[in-house]
Amino acid sequence: MSEEAVVKVALVSCGSEYAGVHGELESVASSVNAKLVYPEIEIDILDDIGKDFGIEAASPDLRLMMARAKAVVEGITDVDGVFITSCFRCAEAAIVRNEVRRYINKHSELPVISYSFTERTTAATLLTRMEALTTIARRRHLLAREKQSGLTAGIDSGSTTTKAVVMRDNEIIGSGWVPTIKVIDSATEAFNQALEEAGVKQEDIQAIGTTGYGRFLIGEHFDAKLIQEEITVNSKGAVYLADTQKGHATVIDIGGMDNKAISVDDGIPGMFTMGGICAGASGRFLDMTAKRLGVDITELGALAVKGMEQNVDMNSYCIVFGIQSLVNSLAKGSTPEDVAAAACHSVVEQIFEQQLQEVDVKEPLILVGGSSLIEGVPKALGELLKINVLVPPNSHLIGAVGSALLASGYVEE
Amino acid sequence: MAKVIIYPTNSLILSDLVQRFGHTPIAMMEKIKEKVTTVGVDSPPMNITAEEPKHGLKYAAVEVPAGVRGRMALVGPMIEQADAGIIVGESPMAFGCMGCARTNELTKYLIRSREMPLLELEFPHSDDEGQEFVYKIAEFLKTLPDGEEATE
Amino acid sequence: MAEGNEDVITKLVVTSSDSVLPIDAAMRIYESSTDIVIKETCFGTMVTGPRESVNKVVKEIVDLDKNHIFVKERGFPPGDDRRCRASRGGGSRPGFYFLKEEAMMLPMIGNALDKYDKHVPLKEVERKKKYEVKELQDLIESTQ
Repeated sequence: MSEEAVVKVALVSCGSEYAGVHGELESVASSVNAKLVYPEIEIDILDDIGKDFGIEAASPDLRLMMARAKAVVEGITDVDGVFITSCFRCAEAAIVRNEVRRYINKHSELPVISYSFTERTTAATLLTRMEALTTIARRRHLLAREKQSGLTAGIDSGSTTTKAVVMRDNEIIGSGWVPTIKVIDSATEAFNQALEEAGVKQEDIQAIGTTGYGRFLIGEHFDAKLIQEEITVNSKGAVYLADTQKGHATVIDIGGMDNKAISVDDGIPGMFTMGGICAGASGRFLDMTAKRLGVDITELGALAVKGMEQNVDMNSYCIVFGIQSLVNSLAKGSTPEDVAAAACHSVVEQIFEQQLQEVDVKEPLILVGGSSLIEGVPKALGELLKINVLVPPNSHLIGAVGSALLASGYVEE
Repeated sequence: MAKVIIYPTNSLILSDLVQRFGHTPIAMMEKIKEKVTTVGVDSPPMNITAEEPKHGLKYAAVEVPAGVRGRMALVGPMIEQADAGIIVGESPMAFGCMGCARTNELTKYLIRSREMPLLELEFPHSDDEGQEFVYKIAEFLKTLPDGEEATE
Repeated sequence: MAEGNEDVITKLVVTSSDSVLPIDAAMRIYESSTDIVIKETCFGTMVTGPRESVNKVVKEIVDLDKNHIFVKERGFPPGDDRRCRASRGGGSRPGFYFLKEEAMMLPMIGNALDKYDKHVPLKEVERKKKYEVKELQDLIESTQ
């Protein structure tokens, strides 16, 4: 498939046309050169689809969803990816959406996104997800790359921090990590740090890859060969750093603004979810907790490991209420250690409730992103899921490393 | 001539029978036409924008999914302008505007709560049932003001 | 009904007649009007044009075999890019499946309309009752 080919995405949905979001779905698809198609089905299968698939949903549109999923899996409709979506807050649709997602993932190689929308969902919200879906469909050969080669750099312009790495012959030889203030200035600063540590000049770099919220802006500024959303880049970076490029893996990235949970097979994302109801479930909450406790963010983890989350009643479903419970607990005499532990637990609990229900967790579970360095976070996640959580070296540089690795695909071209 | 809301709201048979027996069917098709021919709105395919789920708040609270409220924004006003109603039990094949069971429950409830003549029956499965179906609908429509005689 | 020339509508005519074929209906439209556009589709004939002309033509077609030709209005004009399966790629519009199911009932409805016109008395329709517990008990006991 050529880079420019239109990617056909099967739309498996109920109600998007009536919820006021369909235009947004169409618009985001066309912005990444994809086309949404309604899978063709045999009308006869609708009679028995409830029993065939196994869910006798009351809503006919949900039965149509199951029939369309079946058509996709059986190859009656030829598509490159699947977008499964239904209304937020609909229990009936949520059950079907989840099972349809599992079904497609189990029976096909197609990348799948699952999303529940409100009338306020916009194309911008969906861009990263749709971009990832089309990338997986379009650039499988690029994502198959397992080793970095040549001299390349990756810059991850995140919502909170900007990270950069310089890599040569499969080794990280320089890195930079700065808070994101002005997107280009911060990227330049992080990149310069990395170049300095590596002892190379910018003009020597053979290819640059960019990712994160500021990827387009900095990509253009640095004339990047690869400008890529963080879902595919981070999955690649995670399995590369954790040395688990073959087989299953689950990647959780707790970012400054939102979280990603990605189910990866042979280094390629299969199912993924992104977002969170509120920043209360993100790295930002931990940042604010550290400030309130009067410690540096780098010290929060060590503090949390010594505490007992059970001693504090905390729920950071909303970042404002989360901070309020934190203040209340401290006022009631809770120790900073317990509060730190409770904050970490609260964040992972929300990841469990909101994100891990949308992907199937398969070991190894790789935790990445800046928050993974706060020791209390992997500990809390491991306790909650009762599995061993892997935090690879340089886990905070994940996006930058993934970008540098994938950008090296352009060195040889 | 009475305005008769039909359920399923997109039914060919009901729309035809209401018209045939001298009344005006209130059906989804006309509503969709209104939407898709609205000049200046470009939200394919139905031209339903984020505004409709907000209008739907008249019929269902904000915790009700957007797809239900968006559909109610279409069907709610139809119910309000009806003089009578015919509800035919669930068809498993009714998708799209009739594809959401929660919306359908609310639609039927709102039709029933209007104090107006109402006929409820099931889709027929045999010739005898078909005959009963048509007869009941015809007789019901004849009882409505200004109903025309079906014969000749 | 108040309508001006601006009011363009589309009606869908579905024939379920032994004497009138869809092509006859189409021919009738071609003969009778100039400001009407028709389109044969896999589920019937779509007639588009000013409301009055459409209604007139549709009535003429229905009169060919009135109890076996059925009509409903359609929201989208024929071949609308937003809905047409050719441009949507893949499957049909959601309303199609229900229409297809209803189309299969039309012979039954047509026969019933014929009977209604002829004042054929309604037959008592026997409906399956739920099996009574007592009957079930008798059945179980009789097999022991």
